[in-house]
Amino acid sequence: MRLEPYVQFASKAFQREATYRVEVVSEIGSLVLRVYLIRALWTSLYAHNAAPPNLPLHKIITYSTVALLLSLILEVDGTRQLREKIRLGTIATDLLKPISLPAFLFSDGLGMTLLHAMNVIPSLLMALLLVHVDRPPTLQAGLAFVAAFALGYGVNFLLNFSMNCVAFWTLETFALQLVVRWLSDLLSGAIIPLAFFPGALQTLLLHLPFAAIYSTPLLIYLGLIHGPQIPQALLEQTAWLAVFVGIGALVWSRGQLRIVVQGG
Amino acid sequence: MGSARSWLGVIAQTWRIRLLTMLEYKANFFMWFAFTIAYHGVAIGALGATLYNFPSLAGWNFPEIAFLYALWMLGHSTHNLFFFSVGDVPTYVQEGTFDRFLVRPRDVLFQIVSVPNQQWPDELALALVWFVFATWYAHVRVDWIFLAAIPLVVIGGVLIDLAISLAIATISFWFVRVDTLRWVVMSLEQEFTRYPVSIYTRGVRILMAYVLPYAFMNYFPAVYFLHKNGDQLAIVPWLGLLAPLVGAVWFAGAYAFWRVGLNHYQSTGS
Repeated sequence: MRLEPYVQFASKAFQREATYRVEVVSEIGSLVLRVYLIRALWTSLYAHNAAPPNLPLHKIITYSTVALLLSLILEVDGTRQLREKIRLGTIATDLLKPISLPAFLFSDGLGMTLLHAMNVIPSLLMALLLVHVDRPPTLQAGLAFVAAFALGYGVNFLLNFSMNCVAFWTLETFALQLVVRWLSDLLSGAIIPLAFFPGALQTLLLHLPFAAIYSTPLLIYLGLIHGPQIPQALLEQTAWLAVFVGIGALVWSRGQLRIVVQGG
Repeated sequence: MGSARSWLGVIAQTWRIRLLTMLEYKANFFMWFAFTIAYHGVAIGALGATLYNFPSLAGWNFPEIAFLYALWMLGHSTHNLFFFSVGDVPTYVQEGTFDRFLVRPRDVLFQIVSVPNQQWPDELALALVWFVFATWYAHVRVDWIFLAAIPLVVIGGVLIDLAISLAIATISFWFVRVDTLRWVVMSLEQEFTRYPVSIYTRGVRILMAYVLPYAFMNYFPAVYFLHKNGDQLAIVPWLGLLAPLVGAVWFAGAYAFWRVGLNHYQSTGS
């Protein structure tokens, strides 16, 4: 597979996204509000209650703020156009082109993501006016965080991709996708750390694939997963990534067989 | 402008179309209902898990927070059931489809709210179930004052919600792109109302109480019913019972603004 066309797709997607300047402002504006909310909520909770072990106020504020910044990138769904392509039947012509459609969606999504990743910097600067954000404890932790985030990005992409492939079977999938997105936000630790869930539920959630998206990178960032636990956590994420590659490949190959039935 | 009967006829037709749409797309209806459950379930689940670790949020426990959420949910879902399309006005203006409302022989706002959409009382039913549970869970005393006041508080909440979405709709007559403003206001309404207003700094508390008075949808009424005290914003303990009055005043203001906006829109004629 030649890589060059896909680099071009990513660059086109980047330029396309860059034209929506108003969205950029809204994104940063709503982020500032949420950072304010994080500060107000946790400051109040820590003022009236005993702090949980390992998680002092500055760590929970760092956790929530970094989770919010990551969501700027992870909420971008490059595979959403797949649903429209299936609905309208234009997927037929896309399949005739000498490119891999999943790889196109990935590179297109990556291009969109890179633009939104640029928003992280002004957003972080705005957030720093309201809260203090800790740095990762060591350089190794910082590098491991980047690796864990990349793996989480892959799991998130394949989850979105598989959900959009459901459109091969039922044409209206938007509500279903939102259900999965909402649940995954809660179960991945994007809203609150998974450590806040009670006993067995917590153990379960820490080992579900959702945790690979937000929880694992964030716990590495905070230094709560450290030393020899880091390779183990990265390995678990890699295993989930492999499982989702399998699921994605399966629904994609099965789904394509359905197009003939719909007739385009 | 037509008799009362023909106005009711339009409303009946709107609901008939909504019913037929739902019957035609049953699977879709159930999927959106599942989404509604997931949306509120995730919000309440996150609150529950947080308060499991931190039993007191500015003096409020989880049952009380559940009641706070239930009050907001009742007002908000009732608003959505009847007035959801008001939030679509900025889109109509952007796409240029707003003009068709101006040439028809009915009040423009009445036409907007009777656009057939896919709103069903499913969210309201869920809100009622959660409200009954939360009332029991938070040990709220159910007496005649409670039974008389709750419907009025809900009506107040609907009017507050409506007033603010109508004001934003009106602003879109001047500034076509109001997305940022909508996002900010939506976030204030949906996320800031989940917690007692007393956790915010002074400026935000005043904003929530007396500028975009979402605090009257749930916080002030909850302060009254749960006998909470110690908030200097609540001048009197029964302030929350003024929700219908606040709603009426804000709606009247928003409606006057809307009329001005309509005249402005007609004069530019795009």
